[in-house]
Amino acid sequence: MRRRGVPSFGVVVVWLLAAILVLFVAGPLARLLLDSSPANLGAALRDRELATSIWLTVVTASAATLLSLALGVPLAYLLARRRFAGSRVVAGIVELPVVIPHPVAGIALLLFLGRQSPVGSALADLGLEVVNQVPGVVAGMLFVSAPIVVSAAREAFRSVDPKFERVARTLGDTGWQAFRHITLPLAGRGVLAGAVLGWARSVSEFGSIVILTYNPKVASILIYDRFTLFGLPAAVPAAALLLLIALLVFLLVQFLAPDRGVGWGGGRR
Amino acid sequence: MIRLEGVGVRVGQFALQGVSFTVPAGGYGLVIGPTGSGKTTLLEAIAGHTPLRGGRVFLRGEDVSRAAPERRRVGFVYQHYHLFPHLTVAANIGYGVRGVGTGVRAARVRELAGMLGLGPLLDRGVEGLSGGEQQRVALARALAPRPSILLLDEPFAAVDPATRRGLRRELRDLHEREGITTLQVTHDFEDAMRLGDVVAVLAEGRIAQAGTPDAVFRFPNSAFVAEFIGTGTVLRGTVERLSEPDPTTGRFAARFSAGSLALEVVAERVGEAYAVVRPADLTLSRTPVEGPAPRNRFVATITRIERETAVAQVHLNANGTALVAALMVTTVEELGLAPGAQVHVAIKATAVHLI
Repeated sequence: MRRRGVPSFGVVVVWLLAAILVLFVAGPLARLLLDSSPANLGAALRDRELATSIWLTVVTASAATLLSLALGVPLAYLLARRRFAGSRVVAGIVELPVVIPHPVAGIALLLFLGRQSPVGSALADLGLEVVNQVPGVVAGMLFVSAPIVVSAAREAFRSVDPKFERVARTLGDTGWQAFRHITLPLAGRGVLAGAVLGWARSVSEFGSIVILTYNPKVASILIYDRFTLFGLPAAVPAAALLLLIALLVFLLVQFLAPDRGVGWGGGRR
Repeated sequence: MIRLEGVGVRVGQFALQGVSFTVPAGGYGLVIGPTGSGKTTLLEAIAGHTPLRGGRVFLRGEDVSRAAPERRRVGFVYQHYHLFPHLTVAANIGYGVRGVGTGVRAARVRELAGMLGLGPLLDRGVEGLSGGEQQRVALARALAPRPSILLLDEPFAAVDPATRRGLRRELRDLHEREGITTLQVTHDFEDAMRLGDVVAVLAEGRIAQAGTPDAVFRFPNSAFVAEFIGTGTVLRGTVERLSEPDPTTGRFAARFSAGSLALEVVAERVGEAYAVVRPADLTLSRTPVEGPAPRNRFVATITRIERETAVAQVHLNANGTALVAALMVTTVEELGLAPGAQVHVAIKATAVHLI
């Protein structure tokens, strides 16, 4: 019989494997932060090109997130609540960007939104140039972040029993009122958590944007640019600054989706 | 008044078909049926949450078959209440009170809270309320907009027996006081016997039988209804004619044989049939019954006695046929009945209900 308090071999192996993965993720990030002295970070903050790039990243990621919400929440609600012909196909299409390599997404977007395509040409006629312009950044970000927002919102709506809406309808609400007063507040935290994750995904996007709009440079492209042109020391402070921003977002998500029955995409149960 | 005419609904693989049923204005109707028989779907169809595939729904005499739920003016209480978790008790109750000032709404909330004993809970959130409290809040919320029709989906299913008894009484009082036409679905025939003016038994999406609770209980029209509502022991056997039919009623004396048990009965047809023997119609004694009546007498062995508060169910083996008799617990004690004991059983020919 094993003595109490002595873990079994299996338990030790499980802890060991878990620790290796945690270290593999946390180690490089910690190293990046440790390699950036406060002086370097301060200098990075005063770097006008970097500040402009981060500002562009924040603005375009916010625009992409708002577009994801505006277009994705209705779709997420439909997917959660209605069974319609082709609903599984639609759900699959929306999730496709998750499995597509992002440079491939960039090339596909370039073909679809470039001046040579009917859509790109029509947009250009309306005065909206996409490729090599800021809208191209937003398009790339929207392409990769929309699946996250839709998926989180869909799960949030699914977690709200439709009977809540039905009760509200019998109490006099129209469908829209029941959605606004009951479903959205109950699913709101999940939708918001999805939006924050989508925003973070937009900030980190590189592969599609580098093909669609190399200039003006978003932060991820600027960091890559500095790494290839000036080497690692030039890239580290900017990378650390972007990591800090990502950590702030991560903390925000933790605050929005604490362990109180509200998970990723989960409303109150 | 709630009137359903041939209502048909499909939800996934399940279908309600040809459901016709009327609850008179101010009446209390019950739909009873096993799990999966379509009870909740039927209520949702009445409330307008599920589109009809056939038939019509009339509320207050008006055809609302195509009306949106918010235009049907019904109160709805789900089995698990579905109180809005982000609102307080007061906000839940007042949710459906529209088109009036804040003061009027607050007064209506206080009125219902007082009526249902919710006064001290008004400022609380709904999480942490007991089952009975949640049930009362859901009821108050449904009643607040003063609907003339109330739909209740198994409202006592999630509360303990003591709370259920109290709530059942309160609901009946409330119904009588407010005069609201009420339709409740339940799987408990006791609710129907205690509350209902009319009852419909639902089986696999169809109405198996409808009528007053007493008529359905005493004269079930199928073995399914008899077994589901627990009218009594259902025996399958054969009817043979013993006399000529009465010229006015067409009924005749007959023998019903089920296995080794033969009972004299009053029948309308011969051949295969089900006989329902109600527990309250069996008389037990320790000595043979003297005299010409009742017509059916036989000896049985007690296999089990289930004591409830006042009534005991005495399970019998009558020459291989299982029967149940219902006696007062005091009678069981006076007769000294116990498992293994032999008893003399008697039942009137007219008490055996043939299906």
